[in-house]
Amino acid sequence: MSLYIDKIKETAERLLKDGSVDMVIGFRKGSVPMMNEPCFIQKPQEVHQLVWDSNCGINLANYLTDRKEKIAVVAKGCDSRNIVNHIVENKIKREKLVIIGVPCTGMIDKRKIAGMFDKPIDAVTEDGDIILVTSAGKETRLNKTDVLQENCALCIHRNPVIYDELVGDLIEEQTGIDRYAEVRRVEAMSPQEKWQYFEDLLSPCIRCYACRNACPLCYCPTCFVDESRPQWVGKSQDPIDTRTFHFLRAYHCAGRCTDCGACERACPVGIKVRQFTSKLNRDCLEMFGWEAGLTLDQRPPLDTYKPNDPNDFIK
Amino acid sequence: MNLMEHMGIEPGRLQFSWISSAESTKFVETVKSVTQAVKAIGPNTTYKKNPVKVA
Amino acid sequence: MSEWEPKIVSFLCNWCSYGAADLAGVGRMEYPPNIRIIRIPCTGRMSPKFFLAALREGADGVWVSG
Repeated sequence: MSLYIDKIKETAERLLKDGSVDMVIGFRKGSVPMMNEPCFIQKPQEVHQLVWDSNCGINLANYLTDRKEKIAVVAKGCDSRNIVNHIVENKIKREKLVIIGVPCTGMIDKRKIAGMFDKPIDAVTEDGDIILVTSAGKETRLNKTDVLQENCALCIHRNPVIYDELVGDLIEEQTGIDRYAEVRRVEAMSPQEKWQYFEDLLSPCIRCYACRNACPLCYCPTCFVDESRPQWVGKSQDPIDTRTFHFLRAYHCAGRCTDCGACERACPVGIKVRQFTSKLNRDCLEMFGWEAGLTLDQRPPLDTYKPNDPNDFIK
Repeated sequence: MNLMEHMGIEPGRLQFSWISSAESTKFVETVKSVTQAVKAIGPNTTYKKNPVKVA
Repeated sequence: MSEWEPKIVSFLCNWCSYGAADLAGVGRMEYPPNIRIIRIPCTGRMSPKFFLAALREGADGVWVSG
């Protein structure tokens, strides 16, 4: 995967030099291990900052909303699907974008790795499918497949769906994985058990809205949580308010979520927020045969009407 | 609606129907059936914000 | 309080079910008094915010009708 980086730098430099873009959005090294941060490169001499490894889980489509300048953006599979979403929803124009597609083999779960060690982690490097973690002066080798983010392990769209430049050969997509096992497990519970399950799931929530901020779909000028007249959601950590927030946040993502995992990655207390969206994703797939962000030519199911839309919930 | 039930709200607490403005009979029927269904589930104890306690 | 009676918040579309309710009234039909009607300009105005707010404030059921 790190072989891509030379190609990314070279492409970024070329695009900036010949003036076809004003800015390149990519990743640079973060100040702590496993935390790459997004960066905005405007000059060709700055491209050396760009990096690419298994810590680029942030969704860069988030930074494109309503941008007017010409932008090149580094996009893995899920980013590219969110870019499609943005174009379909008129949040960015396709002509303004140069998409640097990166075939992705998944991002590593920083929380999982941190949980494996007692001491703080000093450095994380990688070599193909091996992740080398240095903690308290000792080096440990881990298989990348064992420490993938949950959504990456279940990903079936690793290659970008639209791109102008490609930094490496397209890779083989994963097949035959059960993406919705967790959803089915919850579905099998009784209403009381479900209630308790989500009560436990959400109890650590501190209402920091990091999941909302990390999500490329959340671009409302005024978020419903900030509305105060009328106030739909209380601002306290009351369990019902917390639940209402997560419920509405998930509903805003219905038929749009690409399961990029940015919300879960951003959560400071490690709530599995994908529990909500993956249920909606599965329903969308079952009821409308729809997966978000795969095509520019079709309107999403929730803003079109078709005579055969399922309506058996209406009496 | 599926997510509501997924999160542990009893099925039947939230109902949808489609009634034309000429169908007063259907309206009455639906009111009856909705009331009955909600009665059968019992009071809403879970998804309810408790009033703020003032000391 | 002798027996518990549910409170059902009903969101009725102005042009469909609200009209039906009106007609039911004009026709002097009887129906359970448990519903509390809120008129909305169209069922398209419905939002998950509404029924969550209703339940949160203590409704026992929510009925949306177009």
